[in-house]
Amino acid sequence: MKTFTYNDMDFTVEKVGKGWEIRKGSTVVASGLYAGLADAEAEAKSIALAKTIYPVGIRIIGPDVTHPVTVGDIKYYGPDVTHPNFIYWNKDSASQPKQL
Amino acid sequence: MEIKGKVALVTGGGNGIGEAVVKFLVNKGAKVAVVDMSQKNIDRVVADVKAMGGEAIGVLGNVTSEADTAKFIKATVEAFGQLNIVVASAGIIKDQTMLTLDKETGKVSRKMGLDKWQPVLDVNLTGTFLTIRDSSEAMVNGGWEGILVLISSINKVGQVGQMNYSSTKVADALLPKIVVGEFQMRGIKNIRCVCIAPGYTATPILAGMNQEALKAICADIHLGRLVQPEEIASGIAHCIENDAINATTLEITGGLCYKGGIAK
Ligand SMILES: NC(=O)c1ccc[n+]([C@@H]2O[C@H](COP(=O)([O-])OP(=O)(O)OC[C@H]3O[C@@H](n4cnc5c(N)ncnc54)[C@H](O)[C@@H]3O)[C@@H](O)[C@H]2O)c1
Repeated sequence: MKTFTYNDMDFTVEKVGKGWEIRKGSTVVASGLYAGLADAEAEAKSIALAKTIYPVGIRIIGPDVTHPVTVGDIKYYGPDVTHPNFIYWNKDSASQPKQL
Repeated sequence: MEIKGKVALVTGGGNGIGEAVVKFLVNKGAKVAVVDMSQKNIDRVVADVKAMGGEAIGVLGNVTSEADTAKFIKATVEAFGQLNIVVASAGIIKDQTMLTLDKETGKVSRKMGLDKWQPVLDVNLTGTFLTIRDSSEAMVNGGWEGILVLISSINKVGQVGQMNYSSTKVADALLPKIVVGEFQMRGIKNIRCVCIAPGYTATPILAGMNQEALKAICADIHLGRLVQPEEIASGIAHCIENDAINATTLEITGGLCYKGGIAK
């Protein structure tokens, strides 16, 4: 089991049965992953996947339905484009423009 | 295509038809990415899949966003190594007639605003486009066997009060023809595309409809009741498994009829 904090959120990756589980706090984000892989590789992949699912720039805080930049349960923060793990996309999207 | 061992991504997988599809595919041995805009619903569905002993990830995302679309497809491939089945079930309704008349004067008292028009186009049409565009890209580049399943509606025939919704659903129903035509032209043979047009299905989306109108509609269904989401899911599973079903839209309505008994 490994616990880590990323993008201000607490995650745990743990082998449960044959597969690996990712939890954010106590919520299960993924289950049954990477069955059959060596533990170290599966753990590393699970940590990387948690970071993909919750990229820097988006933090789940909601639902704060009164916040002006909340879409559903997602609250958009100005992305920290200098963060080493910031994910770039080829094009801007209307709902999440790249410029701050 | 056999479902067992395949990787599916279901947008709108946190509720209604999408949730039923997720669970149906998990029961058939697929690994599933549950994409939705509601974290609460994602968490519930992923917990259910875990309890079923299945493999799933939950990814919060808005299908109208290119960035989110890139993210949920990347996460799916990162989690499961490939992508084979995509069901674009995220959809919304915001019903209103184009014009509302004042009962006393007969003059127009209200018009459908862009606030009702645009979000429905954004989610049901642009969102579907982005999902299938980027999924196709992943499938073509990955060389994986795949199927894109779009969700139209029986209301593609044109439902008063759903000018926005019906416009998107007629477009969604057309897309498999265009997409498969393009695949044929480009020599892309590993991906099929189909669309399902559900009739009135017992999901929370119907809570947004005029309930009196819904009651009246039920009387016109040959089956005598609403379609169950699991019945839509089973139809989708059939389309996945039957390779000959391609470039078409399949209606699953329970036999919805016009007054007087002509099937819609
Ligand atoms: N229920 C019916 O009678 C019926 C009939 C015909 C067609 N449909 C279509 O079936 C699909 C599913 O409908 P349903 O009845 O399951 O609805 P639903 O409201 O129960 O579920 C739709 C899900 O999509 C999600 N969603 C909405 N906008 C989103 C967005 N921008 N990004 C990501 N997720 C988003 C919602 O959070 C919800 O979980 C829709 O496309 C709908 O138009 C439904």
